[in-house]
Amino acid sequence: MSAIKPILSAMLRSRSAPVLLLLQIILSVAIVANAAFIIHQRLGLMERDSGVAEAEVLSFKLYNFGDGVDLKERSRRDLELLRALPGVKTVAPANMLPLGSSGWRSGFVDGPDPDTAKSLPGMAVYMGDENLLETFGLKLIEGRNFIPGRIAEGLNDTEVPREVIVTKAYAKAAFGDESPIGKRVYEGGITAFTIVGVVDKLQSAWVNDDEVENSVLVNVNMNGTGQFNTMVVRAEAVDHARLTDAIKEVLHRDDPRRVLFSFKSIAQYRESAYAQHAMMAFVLGAMIVLLLAITALGLSGMVMFNIERRTKQIGTRRALGATRGNILGWFLTENYLLLGIGALVGSLLAFELSRQLMDFFSLDALAWQYPAVTVVLLFVVTTIAVIIPARRAAAISPSIATRSV
Amino acid sequence: MFSHYLDLAWRSIRKTPMMSLLMVFAISIGIGITIMTLNVHQLMANNPAGDRSDKLYSVNLWSQGPDSWDEFAVNLSFQDVMNLRKSDAAPRKAAMIATGMALTSTNPEVEPKLEHVRATDRDFFAMFSVPFLFGGPWEAGADSEPARVVVIGKTINDALFQGKNSVGEVVYLDNKPFRVVGVIDDWRVLPKFYDLHNGPTNDTEKLFIPFSLVEQEKYDPWGNVSGWKYEDGDLFNTEKVWIQFWAELNTPAELENYRNFLDGYVDSQQQLGRFTDMSRSSWVRLNDVANHLKDNKVVPEDNQILIGLSLLFLLVCLVNILGLMLSKFLKRAPEVGVRRAIGASKRQIFAQHLVEVGLVGMLGGCFGLLWAWGALHYLASRFALDDALTRLDPSIWFIAPGIAIGSAILAGMYPAWVICKTKPSVYLKSQ
Repeated sequence: MSAIKPILSAMLRSRSAPVLLLLQIILSVAIVANAAFIIHQRLGLMERDSGVAEAEVLSFKLYNFGDGVDLKERSRRDLELLRALPGVKTVAPANMLPLGSSGWRSGFVDGPDPDTAKSLPGMAVYMGDENLLETFGLKLIEGRNFIPGRIAEGLNDTEVPREVIVTKAYAKAAFGDESPIGKRVYEGGITAFTIVGVVDKLQSAWVNDDEVENSVLVNVNMNGTGQFNTMVVRAEAVDHARLTDAIKEVLHRDDPRRVLFSFKSIAQYRESAYAQHAMMAFVLGAMIVLLLAITALGLSGMVMFNIERRTKQIGTRRALGATRGNILGWFLTENYLLLGIGALVGSLLAFELSRQLMDFFSLDALAWQYPAVTVVLLFVVTTIAVIIPARRAAAISPSIATRSV
Repeated sequence: MFSHYLDLAWRSIRKTPMMSLLMVFAISIGIGITIMTLNVHQLMANNPAGDRSDKLYSVNLWSQGPDSWDEFAVNLSFQDVMNLRKSDAAPRKAAMIATGMALTSTNPEVEPKLEHVRATDRDFFAMFSVPFLFGGPWEAGADSEPARVVVIGKTINDALFQGKNSVGEVVYLDNKPFRVVGVIDDWRVLPKFYDLHNGPTNDTEKLFIPFSLVEQEKYDPWGNVSGWKYEDGDLFNTEKVWIQFWAELNTPAELENYRNFLDGYVDSQQQLGRFTDMSRSSWVRLNDVANHLKDNKVVPEDNQILIGLSLLFLLVCLVNILGLMLSKFLKRAPEVGVRRAIGASKRQIFAQHLVEVGLVGMLGGCFGLLWAWGALHYLASRFALDDALTRLDPSIWFIAPGIAIGSAILAGMYPAWVICKTKPSVYLKSQ
């Protein structure tokens, strides 16, 4: 520790190099801490469970066109043809897909009178039949599933009373801790819906939505009411490729003049839904690695230069009895001094940067662990970056002190 | 003199290959990351309307009731659009929606293909400067009297008609015959400002049909349909908004005139009990292209964060280079001392070293461009980044060397200044 004073005064004598190093460390702490924080947040988003058996759920869309097609009848037949295919576990019609990035959104009100009713939170509206629950692989935790034969054929079918299965998150947001089973909700005060079940989890189509966990299923089969139909097929992931061909074959045999497209599993939808976040995490990760590499290389280069400049000085010290360890320790102490000051100022800058990012973008406040870990990381990196060239300095022979240049 | 300095600089770079490589590497990484993020920004912040930017206006109406949406909706309701289409207050105007249909030809072997279709008015082509290869837009009559006519894109013309002039030929959309009236050349706008909500980086459509067909054929909108209250009935007689509407207004007088017309329109609708949000002083917004792009925030937020961080990153690289440069130049002090002693001026020494720094910067810039290009392609293939974003924006060819050389020189200024101050006497004595 007694070495600190001479080291400090040496540094103060040729200020520019240490100042530059300090600046680099300060900026590195600020950037790496914030980048790591953003990465961690994005990875957290990506880890959320959709509630769906993502790998097993294969979906596709079909587009029927031409006059004189009985769309309802055809949709019914399509379902039968699909169910008969080997390897298919269940099949259901759907109007939208979890993580699919497009779909239906709505909001219920809690009473029949539109003037007094209160709005309930917004939610994604999945419409399908009694098979949708199992086809998605949802976990029913309360109440019951829809009942076969009590599925409305499109929005205009008012004969069948509307039933809803809600997610736990939606139930909590709408009714707090009360059980939602049996409660009635309304759309515009006109149509009544009875809540019959609760599923543990079902995410909506939009992963960047604040209300991504708010979803409901309604007992309405929308397939056959328009030219577009979406089908969901549950099958082992390994069968998907084979099934895609089989589905095209069997449905085209029924009518070749229609378009079948977007054969994708929910796992594939997940990939595109989170592509933006994955890319952000990747780019920031690459930035951190490169930044550390450049800092390390720059530091090594500078130490190397210092050694050449101070060769005679080092030789003299060695001649006066400094051990190799002393010389190594000298360079390391110099580095740790800079790192210490840099870590302190850099952390302050990191929080300031985070505050700026928060003001302009939808980011959270930086947690203190990030600058801390960054400093530890820099400690390791700079130690290596200093030790490797400094070992050369330690190897300088004391005899060098006696030479003239 | 400059070429001599360049020669000296090159020799100096070759004399310390590791150090030079390190410097070029550092600056190229910094430049590469900055260029990559700036490129995405440049592409998305691009105003593709050019000098028509302040002539084209997106028409927005506050038709929603009180306590519903907080902002103007980008789209209009069918009834408003039909009313606005009747007026001559704007020299040109176009309603439009995105939709899609199955495209077939008379050849039964060709599998039907689902294609994006834009249903719009005739003025669309002139307003948005759509280039025609053959034929032109449909007759004005088709805007009021629905007619099955279509303008097709080059790729479809190539596929179905082998690139020949197909005007007068027939294609089938959802099994219905449409007469081709025009073929447009490759046409790309980025961002696709006339309809930002269906993906600002999406390709422009290759099929255009008259908007007048939409009601008759009940085409499904492929874009957002938003409603602020519960309504029965189909899209055509509700307050739901789903149609984009643009007007061309060439002079301030025309703009003023059109605003007055719209104000009058809102008044007339309020007589009918619509536009009920009385907390407002104006129910009309006319956004030119620049404002339209700004309000719809087409530059991704993530990209802006990355630009900020990459600029800081570049700063680190520059500080790094500054240090390395300082070390390298100072090592050369004896040599410079001799040169000073035999008559080189401070200015010459300074200039010589700046040229060397500039050369390092330029090399770094070249590698940086390569990094950026490679990184964009890698990201595109790995993360479903839109291909449109992987091409380098023309402005980058100026920005990249500008940043590279400029920042290198900025970083080199101090070391060059330090070295040119070298006192010849010090080094002459010690030798």
